[in-house]
Amino acid sequence: MGRNVLNIYCLAVYAFLLAPIFVVVGASFNAGEFLTFPPQGLSLRWYFTFFENEVFLRAIGTSLWIAAVATFFSVIIGTMAAIHYVNFAGRYKEAVRVAALSPLLLPEILTAIALLFFLYDIGIGTTTMFGLLVGHVLMTLPFVFMNVSASLEAYDTDWSMAARSLGARPFTRFRRIMLPLIKPGMIGGALFSFVISFDIFTISLLLKSIGTATLPIQLFDYLKTNYTPEAAAVSTLSIVATITVVVIVEKVIGLKMHKF
Amino acid sequence: MTEVRLNRLTKIYSGGKPAVDSITLDIPSGQFVSLLGPSGCGKTTTLKMLAGFEDVTSGEIAFDGEDVGRVPAEDRDIGMVFQNYALFPHMTVQQNLAFGLEMRKVSKAEIKRRVQATLEMVQLDHLADRYPAQLSGGQQQRVAIGRALTIEPRILLLDEPLANLDAKLREEMRVFIRDLQKRVGITTVYVTHDQAEAMTMSDLVVVMFDGHIAQAGAPREIYETPKTAKVAGFVGQVNLIEAPMDPATPGHAATPFGPVPVTAPGVGETVTLALRPEAIDIAPAGAPGTPATIERVQYSGAIVDYTLRFADGTAMEVKTIPRHPFATGDAVSLSVDLARFRQLEREY
Ligand SMILES: Nc1ncnc2c1ncn2[C@@H]1O[C@H](COP(=O)(O)OP(=O)(O)O)[C@@H](O)[C@H]1O
Ligand SMILES: [Mg+2]
Repeated sequence: MGRNVLNIYCLAVYAFLLAPIFVVVGASFNAGEFLTFPPQGLSLRWYFTFFENEVFLRAIGTSLWIAAVATFFSVIIGTMAAIHYVNFAGRYKEAVRVAALSPLLLPEILTAIALLFFLYDIGIGTTTMFGLLVGHVLMTLPFVFMNVSASLEAYDTDWSMAARSLGARPFTRFRRIMLPLIKPGMIGGALFSFVISFDIFTISLLLKSIGTATLPIQLFDYLKTNYTPEAAAVSTLSIVATITVVVIVEKVIGLKMHKF
Repeated sequence: MTEVRLNRLTKIYSGGKPAVDSITLDIPSGQFVSLLGPSGCGKTTTLKMLAGFEDVTSGEIAFDGEDVGRVPAEDRDIGMVFQNYALFPHMTVQQNLAFGLEMRKVSKAEIKRRVQATLEMVQLDHLADRYPAQLSGGQQQRVAIGRALTIEPRILLLDEPLANLDAKLREEMRVFIRDLQKRVGITTVYVTHDQAEAMTMSDLVVVMFDGHIAQAGAPREIYETPKTAKVAGFVGQVNLIEAPMDPATPGHAATPFGPVPVTAPGVGETVTLALRPEAIDIAPAGAPGTPATIERVQYSGAIVDYTLRFADGTAMEVKTIPRHPFATGDAVSLSVDLARFRQLEREY
């Protein structure tokens, strides 16, 4: 009895959380001119419109590219930070953690403004994508850091010692022992990083250069003047794209990590 | 075959008092040596310095006369077995065993041959492709020992390797490790706080307290001629008798069993004597010997432990095979071969 109540309660919470997504997906198949739900007739017309809309296509490309590059650097820097934090930070451990997580703790708008000033101060500005990338790396770093430090906390330093006694030098120990064992954390961090980067709005708005609108920015621009189901189609496609990336990564690399 | 020599080896962790305090020890080639002592006495630290995981603060470690104190662990050619095994969880048994050989750039064919030989040696050929998480504690332990031995190290180091196993398996593994060590003939240093392990497995037992070596010797020597009360008590039960000099017999201490020859202390001082509980014979009252009363009986089948008290109030533990059905309160007679008394050194 109590169990059923709990189940129903959980279902209701999920329904509430996921409903907007179903509304968006449903609305994207609208045959009519306006963004309405339930859709007025079913059609794929807005998807065709989208695929002919270079601006959106370019925005999706930009978003994917930035997410990929930001994730790449985030994983490298975040992993190194986590290794330092767990193994070498000593009595500065807490300080290192707060520093690494600070982009999460501070309001995004503050980080964005600070970065904007900083980039202009050092003469880089926002004429290139560099600033945008830095912003995305900064915002995604905490997720890599958290995931990797969690798997490092479970890492037994005796493994390194055992490898050492068997003749493994520092880099070999890292490559053959530590890296494979913290890989689950790195993959988890990378997935978070990618998805978060895809979703970043404020930072992108302030730091984008001319012609480098990411998808959220482009959608925002579009919705200011239009109210067609094309926006829903774009959103649906970006949901599909995100899920696809997660599934592919999980299938390709993720499965190996459950073997032991 | 490697002879190990520690010369005034000392380790001081930052700021603290010495964890290992100037220990000197010779380990003949091929011997099985136990470092035995309570937790915190510096056993692991000694082992880590031998392995090269900890820097030596002062003193020397020599393998076959060659000072290895500055040789990094990865070049020291030691086999190390950890308490929690430290098997690489992402590698199969086979891959774990091959790791050390890969580091040594041994050819593929040779690795295969030697891994197979090790698998047979530790009786695990049927589990070669399992991951450590799929093995029992005893099997993991054997993989760990095999992994340490495949590289044919100069010495084998084990840090409380049986502590995580249940009692029955622990006894099996004692025999397994000891047999393997004898077969391979490798110089072995074994750390434990379990006196039964140290006594049954070792050629040489090194009893440590507080960073110092209290006594080193064959198990029998440590048990039968302990130097101090602490050593005597750590390797087994013991009766300690604080005896004054016997005014009637010069050079002898007065004990409830009669005068015992001792090295005389200063005027007016007492000597400390040790007597193992099983050295005492217990007979019904009236038999020749010293009368005593039984205070407690602990019967455990093959043996029985008695707590007795003499008329002067001193207590005595006796361990014997259950020959007589004595009960609490019975008057009995105790006798002992006076040669079984050991005079102990003073501890300062
Ligand atoms: N890394 C370390 N830093 C500081 N003190 C340590 C360290 N390792 C051990 N000690 C101290 O050195 C002493 C000996 O420890 P250890 O060698 O581990 O003893 P055992 O193995 O006999 O239990 C203990 O007092 C312990 O607290
Ligand atoms: Mg220890």
